[in-house]
Amino acid sequence: MLEVRGLRKSYGRKKNVLNDVSFTVPLNQLTCLIGLNGEGKSTILKAIMGLVPVDAGTIKVDGKTIHDSIAFVPDLSTMPGYMSVGEAIAYMRDYYPDWNQQVAEELMGFFKLMATDRIANLSKGNKAKVNLLIGFAMNRPYLLLDEPLAGIDLFTKEQIAWIFSSHYMEGKGILMTTHEIAEVEHLIDRVIFLQNGTIIQEDDSEEMRELYGKSVQDRMREVYQT
Amino acid sequence: MHFDQRTPIYLQVLYWFKKRIVMGEFKRGESIPSRRALANELKIHLNTAQKVYKELEDQLLITTDRNVPSKVTLDQSIIDRARTELLENAVKQFVDSIYAIQIPLEEVIINFEKEYNIRKRSELNA
Repeated sequence: MLEVRGLRKSYGRKKNVLNDVSFTVPLNQLTCLIGLNGEGKSTILKAIMGLVPVDAGTIKVDGKTIHDSIAFVPDLSTMPGYMSVGEAIAYMRDYYPDWNQQVAEELMGFFKLMATDRIANLSKGNKAKVNLLIGFAMNRPYLLLDEPLAGIDLFTKEQIAWIFSSHYMEGKGILMTTHEIAEVEHLIDRVIFLQNGTIIQEDDSEEMRELYGKSVQDRMREVYQT
Repeated sequence: MHFDQRTPIYLQVLYWFKKRIVMGEFKRGESIPSRRALANELKIHLNTAQKVYKELEDQLLITTDRNVPSKVTLDQSIIDRARTELLENAVKQFVDSIYAIQIPLEEVIINFEKEYNIRKRSELNA
C-alpha cells in the first residue's frame, strides 16, 4: 500500500497549497484524485515523486520510504520532440532496469502508435498514449497518472478506459488525477475530493451507488457546488 | 454494455449474467468465461468481475473448484429460482410505473397483452 501522511506545502506566505493531506492507494484499485483546477492535485503527485519540495509529510510504500516502486506519468510529454516513438521507448528501456518490453510492444499495437512518428508531431491523444505506455512498461506496482484524460477525444478516452479493465491493471495500484470522469466512472474504485489543498471527502464509488443511489458525478456536483 | 452510473456496477453485471444463465446462453453445468475474460468483454474492472462471481457463488448459481474454470450449477431448481427472481423484479418495476399513473388493472392487462403480442409477432417475422 502506498501511504501519504500529513503532506503540507505553502508557496511563500500567501497560501497553503497542501494542508495536511493524508490518504492511501491500495494495490489492485483505481483511486481517483478529484478537484477543480488549481486545487493541488498535480502538486500531490509531484510531491509523492519527490519532484517538488514539501514543508512536511511522509510517503511510504509498504512501510518503507522508497520511491522506486512508483512510476509517474506526467500530463505533458516529457520526451524530447525530435525523438521518434521508437527512440523514446528504447531510451526509457535503457534507463529503467525493470522495463517490460513486451508490455511496451503490446500497447504500441493496441494504441496503433507508429515507431517512426516524431513525438513533436503527435496529437495530444497520441502523446497521452505514449506516456501511458511508458508508465505501464516501467513495470512498477504503483502508477501515478496526471490528467491522462484531459483534452482528449472520446475514442482515445475509451481506449484508455479499456486499459483500466485489462490484465495490465493486475497487481497495480493506480492514483489518477482528473476532473473528466464520464468515460471511466464505472471503473473507479475510490474517489478522493480535494478542495483548497484539503481532502474534504473520500468515497467508495460502488458503496456510493449502493447506499445513496448516487454517481461519482452526482457527488462531484454536491461537493463542489455547495 | 452501457452502465447506469447510479446503480452499483456489480449488480448490473450480476443481472446481465443471471439473464444469460436463465436464457441458457450459459448452460447448466458448462464452464463460464474467466473473471479476466469477463472484465475484458464488458470493459469492467477486474475487481467488479470478481465481486460478480463471488455473488454468483454465494447464490449457488456457479461453482468454482481450484484451477478449473467456474461452471454453471447443475441444479435446475437454482436456475428456476433465478428465473422467478428476474420475473418478479421486472413485474415490480412495471407495477411501480403503472401504479404511479393510476391505471386500472383491467386496462393495464388489455394493453399489456396487446403490446406483448405485437412484440412476439415482430420477433417471429424478423
